[in-house]
Amino acid sequence: MISRVADHCFWFGRYVERAESTARMLAASVSLALDAELPAAGVWRPVVVVSGEEDAFLARIAGGDDEAAAWGDGEVVQRFMVWDEDNGVSLARSVAGMRWNARSIREVLSLESWEAVNELHLWMRSDVAPATYAQHREAFYQHVRRSTQLTLGLARSTMLHDEPLDFLWLGVLLERVSQTARMLDVHHHAFTNLSPRHEVVETALWLSLLRGLSGSEAYLKRAAGRVSSEGVARFLISEPAFPRSIAYCVRSAFDRLCHIRPPDHHGLPGGVALERLRVLDAWVDARQKEPLPGAGVHEFLTHVVDEVHEICGTLGRELLGAD
Amino acid sequence: MTQHQSQAQGPVHGLFESYPALPGTYDEMFHGGIARGPFARVAQLLARLTPDELQRAQQLAETALLQQGVTFSVYGDARGTEKIFPFCLLPRLIAAADFARLERGLQQRLRALSAFLDDIYGEQKILTAGVVPAEMILGAAGYRPMLRGLKPPGGVRIHISGVDLIRDPDGTWRVLEDNLRTPSGVSYVVENRLISKRMFPRVFDAARVHRVDHYPTRLAETLRSVSPVDEATTVVLTPGPYNSAYFEHSFLARMMGAELVQAPDLVVDGDKVYCRTTRGPRRVDVIYRRTDEAFLDPEVFRPDSVLGVPGLMRAYAAGNVALANAPGNGVADDKAVYPFVPDMIEYYLGEQPILEQVPTYVCLFEDDRRYVLEHLDQLVVKAVDEAGGYGMLMGPQSTAEEREEFRRRIEAEPRRYIAQHRIELSSCPTWIADRGTVEPRRVDLRPYILTSREGPWVLPGGLTRVALARGSYVVNSSQGGGSKDTWVMKDAP
Repeated sequence: MISRVADHCFWFGRYVERAESTARMLAASVSLALDAELPAAGVWRPVVVVSGEEDAFLARIAGGDDEAAAWGDGEVVQRFMVWDEDNGVSLARSVAGMRWNARSIREVLSLESWEAVNELHLWMRSDVAPATYAQHREAFYQHVRRSTQLTLGLARSTMLHDEPLDFLWLGVLLERVSQTARMLDVHHHAFTNLSPRHEVVETALWLSLLRGLSGSEAYLKRAAGRVSSEGVARFLISEPAFPRSIAYCVRSAFDRLCHIRPPDHHGLPGGVALERLRVLDAWVDARQKEPLPGAGVHEFLTHVVDEVHEICGTLGRELLGAD
Repeated sequence: MTQHQSQAQGPVHGLFESYPALPGTYDEMFHGGIARGPFARVAQLLARLTPDELQRAQQLAETALLQQGVTFSVYGDARGTEKIFPFCLLPRLIAAADFARLERGLQQRLRALSAFLDDIYGEQKILTAGVVPAEMILGAAGYRPMLRGLKPPGGVRIHISGVDLIRDPDGTWRVLEDNLRTPSGVSYVVENRLISKRMFPRVFDAARVHRVDHYPTRLAETLRSVSPVDEATTVVLTPGPYNSAYFEHSFLARMMGAELVQAPDLVVDGDKVYCRTTRGPRRVDVIYRRTDEAFLDPEVFRPDSVLGVPGLMRAYAAGNVALANAPGNGVADDKAVYPFVPDMIEYYLGEQPILEQVPTYVCLFEDDRRYVLEHLDQLVVKAVDEAGGYGMLMGPQSTAEEREEFRRRIEAEPRRYIAQHRIELSSCPTWIADRGTVEPRRVDLRPYILTSREGPWVLPGGLTRVALARGSYVVNSSQGGGSKDTWVMKDAP
């Protein structure tokens, strides 16, 4: 397929996934803030840190003096993460990004998938979205989540299962790896430094993180109802059957890229990215057998995020027409 | 026309109760308060709709268009605003007999225009014969001397055309202009039909209307027919999502199962055109280009173009790629060449023209120019190389200053101007949402003609553009025009 079109498919997938995960994380945080007996800043600061926009938030929003107050104000953080047009990862920007990419490949998407994208885009720009946001926050996040899930579900059930869909899912999966890795890293750090450690609070926090990744039910099934930091971390890193675990996403991304660029077709572009992704997959796989020391989790996750970043850059140069 | 009137039944009622016909204007649906014969049944059914129903249907239709992204981009809007092309739900009807004649006339016209282009880029016999003045043709902005002697793959030049027709107060169809380069709007023909079938299924069913949804299939066949190779790879070339007609480019690519490409996706190597893909370069055989030819190839046309594909014209000249439409067609749809089309029909085909034109004064000719300058307040003056309703003087509605401005321009560059008497365009019942009434509004018609190796084929339908503002004659979407679905009726069973 045309490289430029592949690029739009890839970024379309990334933006859809980003919009969905942002909406889910914000909804989980709203719920957590209500009953976690945790200082508000402990709930909201990680949300911004995970997004990678901590510096921008401090510079533009928290504005010097009242930094602590800004971190503790869920409304300020949510406004920044939902509506801020200058925040590149805000929901408004993610939805605009997914719509822009979709429109550029309108002839590639199925009509139904395109309509789902377009309806979400029009909804975000209408008066209805801000009104829902003001009156019924949970419904607002739910609408975004469902629209993005509908978009991806329709893509999968109404588009040809060939290259464009492979690129779209490659984007989804690589975005999801980073998202899971960053969320786990930030929360792992925050929670293990809680003092004094309090079992009930900690359980609530880990469950909230799992809800933020749509993983609480799946986790409880695997862990027979026991909630521990080690258990949750291992689940989110290694569980091969959970579609948001790092192991699952890296493996699936590798499979997608094998469709796009078969490993034995040595003459085709994409070989470097494919090899790097294969190595990452093997490395993640090898970690499953080792114990997870508390401090090692951070290093592990940092390596995953950095590698995914590099792989995306290589993909861009090899297959997506980037210079 | 008289035959339709004699068949007319009963007076107008219901929705059309107080329909205020325009004086001195042919109305497409009613005559003397009575629906025209072939339309009596449809008019009856439409008349039963209440203003509330129409209002609701209109809103539903507009929401559907917006949600499907059937929109055009508004130029000069930094936020990338998109708008729907205003759409009136009340269809424009065309009787079977009328369309049969239009079809023959359009095919004849396209055959003559194709022969003219072959001649002009070949031996130029028509100039030697003195049928059309050489200075008029060779001085046209659309004439590309560098294309002379070049035969397009498949021998077709005007693969896709849209010929604008109007109807005068007698009901006579007249050609207003030919669009032989990159005519747009056909996606609205197909989309408008989807909407009207959804909104008025029973009326539509009763009306017995020719289908239009096979246009993209016919277009794909037409393009394949001129391919230099058997298993053709066809692409649609668009300037990109910022182009106002981007929806249509994407629509046609989707409906033909073709790739939609932009110039940077194409590369020419060894006089062959390739597409940059994720698996390396892939050969391209047919390009339906929706970019203006000035931006096709910076090696040949505008060197400052960033939209172009360097070397594309070399590949075309080598016969390795077909371009639809062929470059150079602008010489045949120039507004100053238009007055000579009836002469071309007689010269090339030895036939009498079936379709009438609008009498036109050519300012290059001294007598015509004198007449135009003396009657500026009665004439419509048009610059020959502008479109979209720009560069026009509407004499009867103009100010003295505007007339003076055009006098200067005509005297400075007489080749650039033509003039016509204003035709009272026919009207059509149109739903005026903000007043909740049906009123007459002026319309034109753009049928689409596809020409393959086998010759021209006319889509039984077309884009009816409607001047939505009261009293307006300008139907262009850039100037407050909208569109209607066009129902070409089948012959009575």
